[in-house]
Amino acid sequence: METQDRSTFAAWTRITDFASANSLIVLLAFLAVFPFLVPYTAIATQILISGLFAMGYNILLGYTGLLSFGHAAYFGLGAYGAGMALVYLKMGLIGGVLFGAVTATLGAMAIGFLCLKRRGIYFCMLTLAFAQLFYFLALVVFDNYTGGDNGLRDIPTPPISLPFGISLSVATPLRFYYFVFVLCVLSFLAMRRMLNSPFGAVLQSIRENEKRAKSCGFNTNRVKLIAFVFSGFFSGLAGSLYAIYYHIAPLNTLYWTTSGSVVMMTILGGMGTFAGPFVGAAVFLILEDVISVFTKSWQLFVGAIFMLFVIFFPLGIWGTLQERVFYRWLRQD
Amino acid sequence: MGLQIGMVYVLLAIGLSLIFGLMTVVNFAHGAFFMFGAYMGLFMMGLTGNFWLSLVFVPVATGLLGLVVERFTIRPLYGRDLNYPLLLTFGLSFVMVEGVRLIWGTIGHAFDTPSVLVGPVNLGFAMFPRYRLFVIVATAIIVFLLWLFLEKTNLGLVIRAGTRDSIIVRVLGVDISRIWFIVFGIGTALAGIAGLLAAPMRGVHPDMGISMLIECFVVVVVGGMGSLRGAVIAGILIGEVVSITTLFYPMMGEVAIFIFMAIVLLIRPSGLFGEVGLLE
Amino acid sequence: MEILRTESLVKTFGGLRAVDGINFRLEGGQVHSIIGPNGAGKSTFFKLISGELHATQGKIWFQGEDITDFPPHVISHKGISVSYQLTNVFPKLSTLENIRIAVQSRKATYNFWSHREMLREVREKAESILEVVQLLPKRNELACNLSHGEQRHLEIGIALATDPSLLLLDEPTAGMSPEDTERTIQLIKEILGDRSVILVEHKMKVVMKISDKITVLHDGKILAEGKPEEIQSNERVQEVYLKGR
Repeated sequence: METQDRSTFAAWTRITDFASANSLIVLLAFLAVFPFLVPYTAIATQILISGLFAMGYNILLGYTGLLSFGHAAYFGLGAYGAGMALVYLKMGLIGGVLFGAVTATLGAMAIGFLCLKRRGIYFCMLTLAFAQLFYFLALVVFDNYTGGDNGLRDIPTPPISLPFGISLSVATPLRFYYFVFVLCVLSFLAMRRMLNSPFGAVLQSIRENEKRAKSCGFNTNRVKLIAFVFSGFFSGLAGSLYAIYYHIAPLNTLYWTTSGSVVMMTILGGMGTFAGPFVGAAVFLILEDVISVFTKSWQLFVGAIFMLFVIFFPLGIWGTLQERVFYRWLRQD
Repeated sequence: MGLQIGMVYVLLAIGLSLIFGLMTVVNFAHGAFFMFGAYMGLFMMGLTGNFWLSLVFVPVATGLLGLVVERFTIRPLYGRDLNYPLLLTFGLSFVMVEGVRLIWGTIGHAFDTPSVLVGPVNLGFAMFPRYRLFVIVATAIIVFLLWLFLEKTNLGLVIRAGTRDSIIVRVLGVDISRIWFIVFGIGTALAGIAGLLAAPMRGVHPDMGISMLIECFVVVVVGGMGSLRGAVIAGILIGEVVSITTLFYPMMGEVAIFIFMAIVLLIRPSGLFGEVGLLE
Repeated sequence: MEILRTESLVKTFGGLRAVDGINFRLEGGQVHSIIGPNGAGKSTFFKLISGELHATQGKIWFQGEDITDFPPHVISHKGISVSYQLTNVFPKLSTLENIRIAVQSRKATYNFWSHREMLREVREKAESILEVVQLLPKRNELACNLSHGEQRHLEIGIALATDPSLLLLDEPTAGMSPEDTERTIQLIKEILGDRSVILVEHKMKVVMKISDKITVLHDGKILAEGKPEEIQSNERVQEVYLKGR
């Protein structure tokens, strides 16, 4: 085993990778029984959906180092996409979900392409601006299709049509939870695969030092765009599930507060870890629920808590836990 | 036509630019300070009914809030990477907007144009709304005063030097954190007064800040950050774009800004003035 | 055999002509040093070759190909590698990963599905390079935790990892103690093989010891060129260095 403090701490990137692999299993096992652990299934489903959104978001923030303030665009595109597929195109459930995710992905491609033309802080501003563009498009320009201020309503939950004429209904809360659960499992596994792949390594090198990554021979603009697209896909997937779950694609899915929420969730949980954003989403939603009992202005308090975290706990809950717990575990060896 | 709204953009963009140029902090709460200024104006008008008093009170109150924010929330982040102040001010804007909602409600308020400034003014070649002329003149005066301050005073010199190279300033023995403190105060005060000036034109609403901020970002992306000239020209240009679009397609005014921005990005990625921004 | 050539290379920043018509030739397999007082244009010249800056005028030829307007990542694939003056590593990645990712750039970028550890030969090559730069025991350290000298070696290692035919070394011994400097000189000599190296250095001893040829820059132009002994006895060079004119 390596010698002192700094060396053991230095190995933590590998250890947390290991921990993340295990924590993924633990997480998935936990989530399998989650609905039975909470008073009502709704919160469990909401946590899954928001967790997926935050995990998708973190591909860009935690792994590539790109701070987007406009991820509401992909969440909203997913929501409206799925909504339109199910309401106007009368698609099946899986079709609708995929349609939403693909719509978001296309949006990510277009927006990413434009935003990546600038770097640093300009990039951040552009992401915010483009999300706002989509908000206005939905509110004003395409309101015949989107329902404008009212949102796209009455989204059905068709059953899943399996081969041999079997039809699986996911219309009850518990069933829908497991439907979302399965999609989340697949998504988290896919994300994990991608982030551990050679491509994932390139993402991290860009985060650490883009100039150097370029001079090593990576076409960083193209790689960043692909990361954008992946992130958009999973965020859109979350948005699709959201719309189907609530039977409505509300306008605020495209509003900056949605972008803000996912940023807060990710930081609260820990952008430097794989599962952190999911933890953050859970904490965020629980806080919202708890604080709402006392006041309507829960956003005020969550915003303040977020600010405290940025100043004092930048590693987030899960990140800080990993550093303290695993660091200590390492030292005992 | 769009000149008066352009002027408001200019004030906002200048404040943002100043803060960014010196501190390399993008104040995502800039829009929230704008909104705060408008509400402070509302408050002052409710209290005294005197617009001129509000003109003095608003920048002071907003600037003070800015000073408190800088001292206690942004300064601890000094030395960390650039994303942190961004994230922090983003969170701050949430808090400020919700705070205003809590106190003044979610629905906006109308803000009456001060009676002295109501009505048209005969400019010889056209009749022009008095209040709008006032905004244009007031902004011009403020910008001029700011220019005087930056060019002619010692403190202004230090600020300008620091915008170029903060290390030099530190080496020269100036307490950089005090400069940041002041600049943040000035920047937010500018946002506040922009909010007050905008209030009779657009009303007062908790969400007024975020749309202005985004539009301000567009100005900055197009005109370049850290360039006062760029801020002024782009601000006026965007104001015109919005105005003209609203004239022909009333609903598309907002969307036009983003389309304009997208076009600029595609044609001249480094902005209209070709300045590759700091930290790009 | 000529491997790199610049033709009337110019780079202006506003009114400043940082590089003012440089005609430079590099012979393959040589260590060619560039020296000159501060502001002479050495770093700018480097950045023009590595693609970080765009030439205002002029051309750059590498192995017979015009690489003047190529972006950095393309230039890297052509076989040019840079080691920077200000240490430019991947801070929160391990030492091994720093090198491994550079090696990986030749093999796989858009592989989304294999685990990166499955690219065994990539890792093995990275480890062998780590050994060359004497950092193998520190393989799991985060790069930001290495000492200054170790980071400079890592820097060289990353540049080496892409198997370049031309290495651009910008002040590799910057900030090093005499012992570290000596060790780095040895390292550079070891890794030479049949590569070509352009070296920017301030330490005259290093330059004299290691160079096959020296070019002296001043005010963006070439002041003098020749073998180390020739440069050492060149009066104009002495004037510029001593009197700073």
